Amino acid sequence: MEIQPAKKNISSYIIQSQEDEIKRIALELHEGVGQTLYSLYTGMQFIQTAVDQPEMKGYVGDMAQMMEKTIQEIRLLAVELHPPALGTLGLLPALKSYLKLYTSTYGITVDLQNEGMEVQISERESITLFRVCQEALANIARYADTMSASIFLQWKPGQLSINIEDKGMGFDVDAGMQKSSGLAAMIERMCLISGKCVISSKIGEGTTIDISLPLY
Amino acid sequence: MEYKGGSPGESALIDQACEKVLTELDCDFVGLALQNTDGPDVRWHYAAGNSNEKYKRITVRYGKGIAGKVISTGRPMYVENFPENVAGKALEYPIMLAEALKHAYAVPIHFKGIPKGVLLIGKRSGQPINENMQSTARNAARTLELKLNG
Repeated sequence: MEIQPAKKNISSYIIQSQEDEIKRIALELHEGVGQTLYSLYTGMQFIQTAVDQPEMKGYVGDMAQMMEKTIQEIRLLAVELHPPALGTLGLLPALKSYLKLYTSTYGITVDLQNEGMEVQISERESITLFRVCQEALANIARYADTMSASIFLQWKPGQLSINIEDKGMGFDVDAGMQKSSGLAAMIERMCLISGKCVISSKIGEGTTIDISLPLY
Repeated sequence: MEYKGGSPGESALIDQACEKVLTELDCDFVGLALQNTDGPDVRWHYAAGNSNEKYKRITVRYGKGIAGKVISTGRPMYVENFPENVAGKALEYPIMLAEALKHAYAVPIHFKGIPKGVLLIGKRSGQPINENMQSTARNAARTLELKLNG
């Protein structure tokens, strides 16, 4: 898909702004709201030990427990919005971590294979690759009607290739591109980082998504 | 720790109860989800009419998905003509996607007065789940409640 220079800049700006905003909210939840709630939680635990009345002790204990659950929810929400592993550990660990959540949410097992040594890529590139993989997996959960899928990462000198495959229902790619903006967004996202995304599918046989990114 | 479903006898009893609901209601899928005993997560433990085994791996957080929402609110939930007109994204309804359901009705199951489980009936095609079927599902949930509470 060819994108005109001005349109490419606007698309790039919108996607980048959206990612920056998601990251800001995730950080604010984790480092701001989450930390404040943790201070309140430890305060409640202190009150619980200081209170003598059994009824009040139980009440404060329940509140502390609820607070603990809320802290966990906030932490999970922040991780879902922007996986911290992406910036600290890299694409492969972030994908592994996401796949655990994916399997436990949709019941679809994903076989992840990696070949070659992961090299450092920019944060913009890694978040783009992560989002494209996320979109591909979301499409599998929504439309493929399959129990399993596979992801194969290949780090070659000068190029990273990612192949996402399922043996599900498959679909008409042309019709799908007209109907779903998600497919077009995957291709456009890859174009914006000078990469490629090729979607091929056969009805009744499954879908393959080949992503490639030049490495410098 | 996850809810283990009690003794083998109890499991068989619940399986039978799910199968009975499936036959009585002329629906395509019946599932029973229970909240883990030491955490907020909710898992599908029993199913009848399932088209695959995905339900066994699905775990939703308290307040998420149909099961999580029904347990957190303690109220029944009705989904009609999925994925059209659903609140939020279709991806927020894993059991509907896993079992390709079009209509579903989920009822809370209480343990000692607290919602801890969900009985869901679902249809993959055809007419929506009418009030009559919803009422039968609520009665089936009460029966299951009695069995589970021992």
